[in-house]
Amino acid sequence: MFGIILGAVLAFIVIMFIYYYNRLVTLSNEIDNSLSQIDVQLKKRADLVPNLLASVKGYMTHEKGVITEVTNARKALLGAKTIESKVKAGNELGNALKSIFALSENYPDLKANTNFLHLQQELSAIEDKVAYSRQFYNDSTLSYNNACTTFPGTLFASLYNRHQKEFLKIAPAERNVPKVSF
Amino acid sequence: MSERVSFHDEIRNNKLKSLALASIMILILVGLGYVISQFYEPSLFFTFMIFAIIISIGYTLISYYNADKIALASVKASLASSTQHRQLISSVENMALASGLPIPKIYVMPSSQINAFASGRDPKHAVICVTEGTLAKLNKQELEGVIAHEMSHIANYDIRFMTFTAVVIGMISIASELFLRSLWFSSNDRDKKGNGIFMLIGIVLAILAPLLATLVSFAISRKREFAADASGAKFTRHPAGLASALKKIKHEHPSLNDKHNFPKAVAPLFISDPFKKKFTNLFSTHPNIDDRISKLERM
Repeated sequence: MFGIILGAVLAFIVIMFIYYYNRLVTLSNEIDNSLSQIDVQLKKRADLVPNLLASVKGYMTHEKGVITEVTNARKALLGAKTIESKVKAGNELGNALKSIFALSENYPDLKANTNFLHLQQELSAIEDKVAYSRQFYNDSTLSYNNACTTFPGTLFASLYNRHQKEFLKIAPAERNVPKVSF
Repeated sequence: MSERVSFHDEIRNNKLKSLALASIMILILVGLGYVISQFYEPSLFFTFMIFAIIISIGYTLISYYNADKIALASVKASLASSTQHRQLISSVENMALASGLPIPKIYVMPSSQINAFASGRDPKHAVICVTEGTLAKLNKQELEGVIAHEMSHIANYDIRFMTFTAVVIGMISIASELFLRSLWFSSNDRDKKGNGIFMLIGIVLAILAPLLATLVSFAISRKREFAADASGAKFTRHPAGLASALKKIKHEHPSLNDKHNFPKAVAPLFISDPFKKKFTNLFSTHPNIDDRISKLERM
């Protein structure tokens, strides 16, 4: 009888160890996966930028500043190595693109260009996808952090040497609508 | 407006309640099997249960693996086209990103009323189907709210869960049926047990159990709808979108003609009851639309 109880307790402990190991690994993998989703969307956006600039160049001859801003932000994005710098460069590119679209209101010919309109739609759709993939990153980070900090997960987290992960923050300045000077 | 509802709590509550309801169903099944076997031959309890389980699982497995195809065919849905339904496809892609699920197959069905459903046994085989009316009448936020609700059904494995419920109801019905029929034939040699009380309980249970189980399954279905609203809000971070879509649905008056587009069997799958019954009661598959709206507005 004693042996059976001991066996059951041992089995329970072993299952707990396996369960929490797998849970932490799964949740952590989900975060990595969501990171790569952000990456994919940022890359897609960067790939569309040269087309956009090509369609804009003929019209926006007086807006050199914004165009260089977009070009530089794109370069920064493609050169970025860590996810933080990628997201940061992505934000800058997003803001520079917003300026271009705001300025395009001054160019009726450009607004009538179907190619430009198509790119504008495409880019704003990608903008949504960037936002949603970042949101999912934060959601998966929240689940992971909850698993790491609630009892008894916290015991196993320290045992397996797993620590809380950072949320992707939006810097205060980026929350504002970009200013466009005419 | 009362206190704010956190959608995380809401999701957890609903899952717990669904689990409790599912346990009740299993209890009904086991109780019924027990009483019936007591009446005949106590040692047959397991044989009896196994028999009921095998028949109903076999029956349901077939519909389980083909649920999506059957549902899509019965509403005459066709695959969404990337040129015609850009907005829809983009909304589904967005919600797939927000939920971390693979992008489901997207279908459009002919009907002027606003409605949508999800099917498929797991996220990898999921489909989402919306009506043409949905695309015409909803704006982007509302459409995304509706899609998020459907994605939540997929994420919560609601289709699998409802299939499971169907299996248990099937088992209960088969067990009851077998029992009632056997009474008919065995009434002549009534001397073997003579267990009058068990027979009486058995008859009452056999008649009531399938009804009871069906009611429980409707209650589960209503809970799952609330749960999908809550996790849908988590995906869009914009509960007002779905709330506004539900308001539009509420003010619609489905034409009689349109109801033919919705076979009764697929009705529980939809985001709102296609037949628009006036009152929510024990037999409703969907919760009251006003309750859903007010819950969303409090999130």
